[in-house]
Amino acid sequence: MDLQFSPEDAAFREEVRTWLSENAPRDRRPKLGREVRDYDLAWQQTMYAAGWGGVAWPVEYGGRDLPLTQQLIWYEEYARTGMRPIDTRFVGLAHAGPTLMARATAEQRSFHLPKILRGDVVWCQGFSEPEAGSDLASLRTKAVVDGNELVVTGQKIWTSFANVADYQELLVRTNPDVPKHKGITWVICDMSSPGIEVRPIRTMEGGADFNEVFYDEVRIPLENVVGDIDNGWSVAMSTLSFERGTAFTISQVQLASSVERLIELARSRRSINGRPAIGDGALAERLARARADCAALRALTYLGISKNVNSDQPGPEGSMMKLQYADLAKSVYHLGIDVLGPRSLAIPDDEADTEWIDHHLLAYSTSIGGGTSEIQKNIIGERVLGLPR
Amino acid sequence: MRKSFSFGGRSSRRWSSRAIGAPAERQWNERVGDEHEGTPLMDLLPSSEQSEIIESTASFVASRIGMTRTRELFEAGSLPAIDSAAWNGAAELGWLSLGLPAELGGIGGGLVDEVLLAREIGRGVAPGPFIGSILAARVAAFGGATSLAEEIINGRPVGLVVPAALDVVGADGSLGGAVQILDAADGLALVTSPGVAAIVEVAKFGNLTTVPCLDPTILLQRAEVANVAPLVSVTADVDPVERRGQVLIAAMLAGIAEWARDTASRHAIDRVQFDKPIGVNQAIKHPCADMAVQAQLAYAQSLFAALATDEGRGDAELQALSARITAAAAAEFATAATIQVLGGMGFTHEHDAHLYAKRATVLAQVFADVPTALQRLLLLPGPL
Repeated sequence: MDLQFSPEDAAFREEVRTWLSENAPRDRRPKLGREVRDYDLAWQQTMYAAGWGGVAWPVEYGGRDLPLTQQLIWYEEYARTGMRPIDTRFVGLAHAGPTLMARATAEQRSFHLPKILRGDVVWCQGFSEPEAGSDLASLRTKAVVDGNELVVTGQKIWTSFANVADYQELLVRTNPDVPKHKGITWVICDMSSPGIEVRPIRTMEGGADFNEVFYDEVRIPLENVVGDIDNGWSVAMSTLSFERGTAFTISQVQLASSVERLIELARSRRSINGRPAIGDGALAERLARARADCAALRALTYLGISKNVNSDQPGPEGSMMKLQYADLAKSVYHLGIDVLGPRSLAIPDDEADTEWIDHHLLAYSTSIGGGTSEIQKNIIGERVLGLPR
Repeated sequence: MRKSFSFGGRSSRRWSSRAIGAPAERQWNERVGDEHEGTPLMDLLPSSEQSEIIESTASFVASRIGMTRTRELFEAGSLPAIDSAAWNGAAELGWLSLGLPAELGGIGGGLVDEVLLAREIGRGVAPGPFIGSILAARVAAFGGATSLAEEIINGRPVGLVVPAALDVVGADGSLGGAVQILDAADGLALVTSPGVAAIVEVAKFGNLTTVPCLDPTILLQRAEVANVAPLVSVTADVDPVERRGQVLIAAMLAGIAEWARDTASRHAIDRVQFDKPIGVNQAIKHPCADMAVQAQLAYAQSLFAALATDEGRGDAELQALSARITAAAAAEFATAATIQVLGGMGFTHEHDAHLYAKRATVLAQVFADVPTALQRLLLLPGPL
């Protein structure tokens, strides 16, 4: 066992750190609309031009195909820039792209993958529906084959960045008469197709990245089907092993850095009794626990990556990391509110403290999005511990 | 002649060693026989030799010092006491000098190897002053008390002093004030503070009385000490004994949490109520999943802290305290949740769960209680 990285990896870290410090955007990321897309894609184009467009992507698709330990280093250094872990590039680079690599035809791959990597396009994910959340396979958005097209009618929900996306990885019901996992098709949907309506969903955090998407007889060429008709569930599941846990590093490192900044804040700010906030025993205990918990989450991440280096399938650490991250993010950012005290009531845009309130509000979503914490616990209970369903 | 772990032996030792008094730092280029050819590579998986540590320890725990033996000793009315045959067997296997540098008479492994050992001892809730003795062997060896070090390594048990207050331990390892002593069956006990570690003679303590311990496998004594000087001591800059203790406690607690996870899960699968295994219910399944997460966090952080100590990282103290804090929380949660999952059975003396819960409670008090550990953690600079 080692914690140290090899001299080659240490040199790699220096290279990455230097490049990121010289090239990461310095201007603030816009909050809404097309400006967000332009900002994210410009950043992707910058990374692509320097060879950093897809650190986990295979070389044949223009990626760097870094070994997992160097991916870890890349993401640790990326996290230090303060850039968001998930932005408009995420679905293309980390989900739809890898799915295409695994399951798409040569034509589909050569058309779409370069666009994703170069930062030309934004992808979104059309999976969840109003009646198909945790039970995703019960989705009902209907698709009927008509000539050489699929005709899609229905509704998707919780679709991040649908308002600025060019393409969508879309799951549709092509056969209602077979068991639910067997009648689903994975298809590439051009978001400019007639019959698509995107309605933003305003969230409790104030952002409008979230959307509902309505499909009214949207015609999608059959050549956009990935895998086969009715075989979409296995296509959707095929990317689970991509990156094998390394991308999660950004969230973990940024949370740990938030805890360190909170400890600083608690040293410099006075609480309502006039003493430094860190002198409040209850706050101090929570700050210390947060520090310990962040250390352990990092150790769990390293352990997970160590396992995955020798395995094509990700270990259960994925669900464990996600579950623990959600719990910890919620408690850390609520702690941020408590360190601010009464100052947390006002949220002017231009004040640094507002960042803590944004984090706190956003943290509510961490145990819901991408598989709820309850579903993660089912996965751990059933697949790791062997408990009955 | 003492046998060492069969996997390593003195001829094929893979770990480098360090000079007496040198900082706890391993030199990578001194390592031999490593599968990475001397090149470090971030990796938290056990090597084949480390897997053998795990297997040989688990096998000895199961056959000689685990719950079967503990139950026999209970039946015979001979607990709490050191089971000397078993203790000598563990000493022969090299458990008490696994992490001690070879030139000081040890096997020359790392703290990370001792973590793997301590985790298995915790999983079997084996009685005996393992942590006190492992650390005391270091204090004696680094402090120049060579023959005492040898005695300890060869099976003289050393208990642990739990001071009633932080100022009971002086800067030189001397003692003055109220103390409790765990498992000092052979007259010696280890005293630690963050800055120093020392071996003291229990016979010099005043008002020594034996009292029942919350954990019935532990021999507990109380005493008032009027300034007793140590037999031998070392400061933390020579060897961070207390920090190593924090990590080993964390590893034992991780093993306890893993046992609790496995025991609760087994019961959730086997126990049928309302015509279904109780594990189908999320009110049972989810605490089991929580135990799995917390046990894994505790294990991972124990490894991280041990490696940080072995590698002489600047944040080793932060990592060690973090391990201790997260592992104590994991073990306390997991043992309590397991007793709940077991229902009435979990509350009986007959089921083993209470022994794990009690051990976790005792371990959480050793080398500074959790509130003190939290205060110390918050005063440190941030992680690397």
